[in-house]
Amino acid sequence: MKRILMSVRDGRGFDIVLVAFPLGFLFLMAGLPLIYNVVMSFQEVDMFSLGTFSRPFVGFKNYTDLFAQPETLPILYNTVIFVTGSIAGQFLIGFGLALFFWVNFPGASWMRGLFLVSWVMPGLVVGAIWNWILSGDFGVLNFILRESGIISGNIFWRSDPHFSLYAVIIANVWLGSSFNMILLSVGLAGIPADLFEAAELDGANVWQRFWTITLPMMRSTIGAIISLGLIFTLQQFDLFAAITSGGPNNSSNVTQYWAWDLSFRQYDFAKGATISVIMIVFVMFASVVYVRSTRHEVRG
Amino acid sequence: MAIRKYAILGALALAGVSLFGLSAKAEDVTLTLWSLDKDTQPAPNLVKEFNAQNNGIKIEYRLIQFDDVVTEAMRAYATGQAPDIIAVDNPEHALFSSRGAFLDLTDMIAKSTVIKPDNYFPGPLKSVEWDGKYFGVPKATNTIALYYNKYMFKAKGLDPNKPPQTWDELVEDARKLTDPAKNVYGLAFSAKANEEGTFQFLPWAQMGGGGYQHINADGAVKALGIWKTIMDEKLASPDTLTRGQWDSTGTFNSGNAAMAISGPWELDRMTQEAKFDWGVTLLPVPKEGAERSSAMGDFNWAIFATSKHPAEAFKALEYFASQDDKMFKNFGQLPARSDISIPESGQPLKDAALKVFLEQLKYAKPRGPHPQWPKISKAIQDAIQAALTGQMSPKDALDQAADKIKAVLG
Repeated sequence: MKRILMSVRDGRGFDIVLVAFPLGFLFLMAGLPLIYNVVMSFQEVDMFSLGTFSRPFVGFKNYTDLFAQPETLPILYNTVIFVTGSIAGQFLIGFGLALFFWVNFPGASWMRGLFLVSWVMPGLVVGAIWNWILSGDFGVLNFILRESGIISGNIFWRSDPHFSLYAVIIANVWLGSSFNMILLSVGLAGIPADLFEAAELDGANVWQRFWTITLPMMRSTIGAIISLGLIFTLQQFDLFAAITSGGPNNSSNVTQYWAWDLSFRQYDFAKGATISVIMIVFVMFASVVYVRSTRHEVRG
Repeated sequence: MAIRKYAILGALALAGVSLFGLSAKAEDVTLTLWSLDKDTQPAPNLVKEFNAQNNGIKIEYRLIQFDDVVTEAMRAYATGQAPDIIAVDNPEHALFSSRGAFLDLTDMIAKSTVIKPDNYFPGPLKSVEWDGKYFGVPKATNTIALYYNKYMFKAKGLDPNKPPQTWDELVEDARKLTDPAKNVYGLAFSAKANEEGTFQFLPWAQMGGGGYQHINADGAVKALGIWKTIMDEKLASPDTLTRGQWDSTGTFNSGNAAMAISGPWELDRMTQEAKFDWGVTLLPVPKEGAERSSAMGDFNWAIFATSKHPAEAFKALEYFASQDDKMFKNFGQLPARSDISIPESGQPLKDAALKVFLEQLKYAKPRGPHPQWPKISKAIQDAIQAALTGQMSPKDALDQAADKIKAVLG
């Protein structure tokens, strides 16, 4: 007994307690809801059995039902396009801006701060603003494109099935770019200046310095941003609610919005949970890729 | 020392809370009421008036957001925390009644001298019925009709006193009124992929002899075909597919649409915003003399079956119903009753419109009632959007919807 107590005070037991607390906390806050969600996807759940645990198990019925629905595959496909399009757009614009402000001209840091406005605004407000900008008849975006001669007729961003998903991607890129910029700016600031000086002395030009110093030194930052971007874009819900509601005819519907629609508009909580489980698998796959790629870096 | 200080503070705070809770007289019965009405809308004001009567019943009011009404109520009911009285959207009433969550009010209504089923419009009354019994009382009602811009009718050589009465006339007039050079569309309505789309389309299907049980009836297919013509010829903005009724009618108010299908909730805004002569006419029918139909919106009152004070709760509903005659004057909402004549507001356009809406209400039919309404509605929305975006023919889209609905109805 005394030995156990001693080890808790100072020794292996102490380490275990130290690890057990955060693990227990994680399990309570993240693990239980996750398990609950998975269990729910194998049950038959309606509004009235939502508050109880004794619900009939139906095996994989929710999954087979879901994949029998004609809209499921298009929605999964939309999600992939939305996630990759948003992350790529946010990253490229964010990186461009970060490099631009890195030049450090007078007022650079002040202007960079202004860019954060988009990140501070609530998603629903951003959605409402973009809803007006993208409006077909009187939207600002159509006006600009028309006046600059890029298009001849109005594009109905929200209501044309060919454009609706990209309308939300545009808004999401705008929303997320500044966050990417800030994180990438921090990464850039962390690269020692003498590396560049040495490379310059050796005769490396701007491109060579970018490819051989900036990018490799930014690798972990970029990895973090991409994985954060994956999480944020998979969470993105407000913009869909505000701009297209997933329409027309599911052309801009994505899994996260669909899960909400099934659960809270059609009260089919089991199917909503089923989609969430599919999303979890998707995220786990992506995080494994991320962890593997950064582990490689630590070794190298 | 510090701990004792906090303990005392905590005790004081608790005492404060309980004092606050006891501010009603000790012998009073306390009821809770949930609704989505804000300060300027009926529920909180009716509660205030009711409490001021000091009749031994006190009501505590709680505001809930539109999107949360059903989920919040369900959660509360499941955990035994349900309020005594709640206001729910009429297509969702059956969901609760069918599972015994709402109190059967049939006997109470039969004995009541205030609430009489005969006084109500048939549509709203039908929405509180389940299995031949009454599980609530209609709170207010609304429907849709056709607004039209008389000035534009004149400008395009149409008779401003002869708005379109049939579907073909509607399309014909919309063609004449559409003027892309001036950014004017012939018609504004909503085909959005939510309940609003169903709300606007279902009356058309019903007039065509369809309904949610047979959504692919020939008349309903024809109705969707008319909608498709309107969209394909750009007689209405393509954004109709993603825009709600409020925003769509906004384009009518600003002179960018010559006609609009919308409800009486627009009357106050239109009297302020629209700088032209406008009128309202009944929703066009398939052909002259055809059966009319219209959408029916707004909320119902209900008492939860778990209420400990059903008699007192019903007394509150009786009081609310007794104030129905002031509903339009005070809050701009229509009472769900045919026995009340609403006094003139003094604004001629509004008064004329009101008459049309009251006429239209006679034909208003509830959505459902069916406990699985949201799923049925979703099938209809999908069909509308699949057809209007050209991905399916109206017939195929409605056939698919009929299959989905059949699966839901079992």
